[in-house]
Amino acid sequence: MANYFNTLPLRMQLAELAKCRFMHLNEFTEGVDALKGKKMVVIGCGAQGLNQGLNLRDSGLDVSYALRDAAISEQRQSWKNATENGFTVGTYDELLPTADVVLNLTPDKQHTNVVNTIMPMMKQGACLSYSHGFNIVEEGMQVRDDITVIMVAPKCPGSEVRAEYVRGFGVPTLIAVHEDNDPNGEGLAMAKAYAVGTGGHKAGVLMSSFVAEVKSDLMGEQTILCGMLQTGSLLCFDKMIEEGIDAGYASKLIQYGWETVTEALKYGGVTNMMDRLSNPAKIRAFDLAEQMKDIMRPLYEKHQDDIMTGAFSSGMMADWANDDAKLLGWRADTAQTAFEKTEAGDVEISEQEYFDNGILMVAMVKAGVELAFETMTAAGIIADSAYYESLHETPLIANTIARKKLYEMNATISDTAEYGCYLYNHACVPLLADFMAGVKSDVIGKGLELDDTGVDNARLIEVNAAIRNHPVEEIGGILRGHMADMKRIV
Amino acid sequence: MPTLDELSVDFDGRFQLNNINWTIAPGQHWLIAGANGSGKSALAAVLAGEGDRLSGTVSGLPGNVALVSYERQAELIAAELRKDDADILDVISEGTPVAEIIADVCLDAELAQTLVATLGLESLMDRAFRKLSTGETRKVMLVRALTSRPELLVLDEPFDGLDHDSLNWLQDYLAKLAETTPMVIVLNRFDECPDFITHVAYVEHGQLLQQVNRTDEGAFGELHQLLHLKTSEREIPMADPAIELPPLNPDEPLVQMTGVTVRYTDNTVFENLSWTIEPNRHWQVSGPNGSGKTCLLSLITGDHPQCYVNNIKVFGFQRGTGESIWQIKQYIGYVSTALQWEYRVGTGLRNVIISGFFDSIGLYTTSTDTQKAIADKWLDVLGMSGWADEPFNRLSFGEQRLALIARAMVKHPPLLILDEPCLGLDDMNRQLVLALIERICLSGETTVLYVNHRLEDSIQGIDDHLVLG
Repeated sequence: MANYFNTLPLRMQLAELAKCRFMHLNEFTEGVDALKGKKMVVIGCGAQGLNQGLNLRDSGLDVSYALRDAAISEQRQSWKNATENGFTVGTYDELLPTADVVLNLTPDKQHTNVVNTIMPMMKQGACLSYSHGFNIVEEGMQVRDDITVIMVAPKCPGSEVRAEYVRGFGVPTLIAVHEDNDPNGEGLAMAKAYAVGTGGHKAGVLMSSFVAEVKSDLMGEQTILCGMLQTGSLLCFDKMIEEGIDAGYASKLIQYGWETVTEALKYGGVTNMMDRLSNPAKIRAFDLAEQMKDIMRPLYEKHQDDIMTGAFSSGMMADWANDDAKLLGWRADTAQTAFEKTEAGDVEISEQEYFDNGILMVAMVKAGVELAFETMTAAGIIADSAYYESLHETPLIANTIARKKLYEMNATISDTAEYGCYLYNHACVPLLADFMAGVKSDVIGKGLELDDTGVDNARLIEVNAAIRNHPVEEIGGILRGHMADMKRIV
Repeated sequence: MPTLDELSVDFDGRFQLNNINWTIAPGQHWLIAGANGSGKSALAAVLAGEGDRLSGTVSGLPGNVALVSYERQAELIAAELRKDDADILDVISEGTPVAEIIADVCLDAELAQTLVATLGLESLMDRAFRKLSTGETRKVMLVRALTSRPELLVLDEPFDGLDHDSLNWLQDYLAKLAETTPMVIVLNRFDECPDFITHVAYVEHGQLLQQVNRTDEGAFGELHQLLHLKTSEREIPMADPAIELPPLNPDEPLVQMTGVTVRYTDNTVFENLSWTIEPNRHWQVSGPNGSGKTCLLSLITGDHPQCYVNNIKVFGFQRGTGESIWQIKQYIGYVSTALQWEYRVGTGLRNVIISGFFDSIGLYTTSTDTQKAIADKWLDVLGMSGWADEPFNRLSFGEQRLALIARAMVKHPPLLILDEPCLGLDDMNRQLVLALIERICLSGETTVLYVNHRLEDSIQGIDDHLVLG
């Protein structure tokens, strides 16, 4: 199989990359009608598989689970998940030949195997749905011509997909139709109905393409979302220990700090996050971020280039073929880092203190978000996609670190994201070594502790303007505005 | 000091006070509060020796207890009228003049003169007591009580029917008198509670349920709210006329479960359970922990996934035939501790109540002015007017529970499910919640399904009982 993206002519590559449109709620008035009465069969009963299935069934759709013979006969966890939740469970042979829609919710790594197995069993004119486009775009999976191929990708972990639905809301969801596989032109209607079935339409749906989803998703998760937070956690912790800060305090400041500072990001972008700092601290964070952006830019560009050429995915697939040797080794290394092994201390840290004593962390978030956004848009990904895959998702990943540090983050994200995260981390830690040698506890751990918080007016105006006029802030303002009438009022 | 110990008292077979334990320590001034008919006047009257003791003891009452109450007032007038009846001579009796009525018990003539002047009774002194207006009679009763040098002054609704000037004067006078004389005051309107009151006794169904020290601001505030719920005449706000539920067949049960079983790989919660809930038949469900009460309810609400593999029909929908849970939830109001744990939002109280229209946790759509107005009326019923924008997660646990009950009721659902609505609440908040539910049950159009295992939390109007376990 050849990398699908690389088979496209440049003009189509650019056209596909540029697809991303925020859909209006009134585009979903037909609800789940397009899937009503259709037999939907889920493959993969993990967090996404189970929770999407629960939502779809609660929306009035017919959902059952196809499991491997062994999973059924040995009553494995996936069998338990499905049966205890009252779903019909059957073997591939039993369920797939009559399925109208097959939801492939297995891990990326298994896609080629799964799709090759199920394709011959699927009936004429059925629909195959993905939650991630890696298999189509990077591995070049060729799906039978009569089969409609769509993607519905909730932009949250499976547990959130369910929790938000039960609350009467949903999670932001990306949908796409694989143009090469839309024989009856009904792919979009089905993708929309699917998004309604999981509740995604209430939280906002992005109409994108398989290509744009894969190339922006990979870039975001490797760099700012997971990579930057992992590298930042390790560097900031080691720096604080070196500066004599209490280890428990340092551990807590980082574990919960990402969540706290990115919460400000979620509500009002980089501008609001920076505004949470005092004037002198803001200027300091700005300067640190500028330095880091200069240092890290080649790394971000390399990640984006490798993603675009397919070098990243072929590297990862080689590791898959090698029993995940690299991934598992890096995962074990992460577990042995000082930050990971130091429990958060039993100290009170106020919400504001996370900003005041975490200036460097704020600077890292700013640098990472802006760089990822700049690099993605320079590569032809349009601003809307770039915004969602950088700034928008950062708080979601930060939440997972707050739960159980890097372990939880890496356990929650896909293997693909985790692999990319480690790649980034291994390059970024040495890259920032000289920079880190120059910072002290005033920007991480203690705060500036100034008697005089005065600043130069001209300098402050200049810094504020630079923050506010960054393109990620421009598109962020528009998209957050779009979502205003559908975002939670909580 | 006056002490009532396990005291039960009968009042002419019409009313009973039961198991009252109460001590009025030196320096304390009490307010007795409660709804109409709760027994607050009876409790006050017991201090003045009224009623027939059934059991328990009263001790430490001073010799001279003065009581001003409608009952005393009525008795005195009745006695005057009897004098008339007794007079068989064919002359028109003038009755006892006011001056004599006062002098009868007066121990301080000088004070009497001052009071008569201050209350504007001078011109009435020669008038027959029984010919006075209610307000005037009430003033005379006050003069009698105040001039009798009482060692304990018991005033049942002393401010009722007084004109503005007299009211102000009396309040000032009582405030001064409080420095020397212990007082017990009965008031319907909690807002009128004088500043010198140190303690509040809350009476309900002939029992003294709460004794609150005024310095305990939290408890005092909750009591205030409870009285508001019990005594206000505010109607339950209407549903939103713009939201029309698809009508239910009135002859069909709301819920019909046939041979229902919930089973996990390693245990069975219950087996082969059949249950029908007809409209307007309120049910109480009880059973020990783990007997499956919550599980049973979630089969109805659609929150339990095994509702799809059982024979369950709710609101006309046979489960598992292509209906969505939102079609079912639209007919249900639901409150449970689990919901309260889930409901961790910083949104304002008004939005929380409005979210009941949409069956959502948090509010995700814009609400109409009508919906806002309805929510504000609910806040008024709850005694939380002016709290509309108060962040929900900053309310006390009990206040949150009340708001969630209002949220469940805001759309007037055909079925209201209350899963242990009093769980985790202190006594006072429990009274509050029960008072609210009782009002809802009495309102008629909602069938209530009430789960609890505390017998004392029973609700009037719930007759059917399902016991699990």
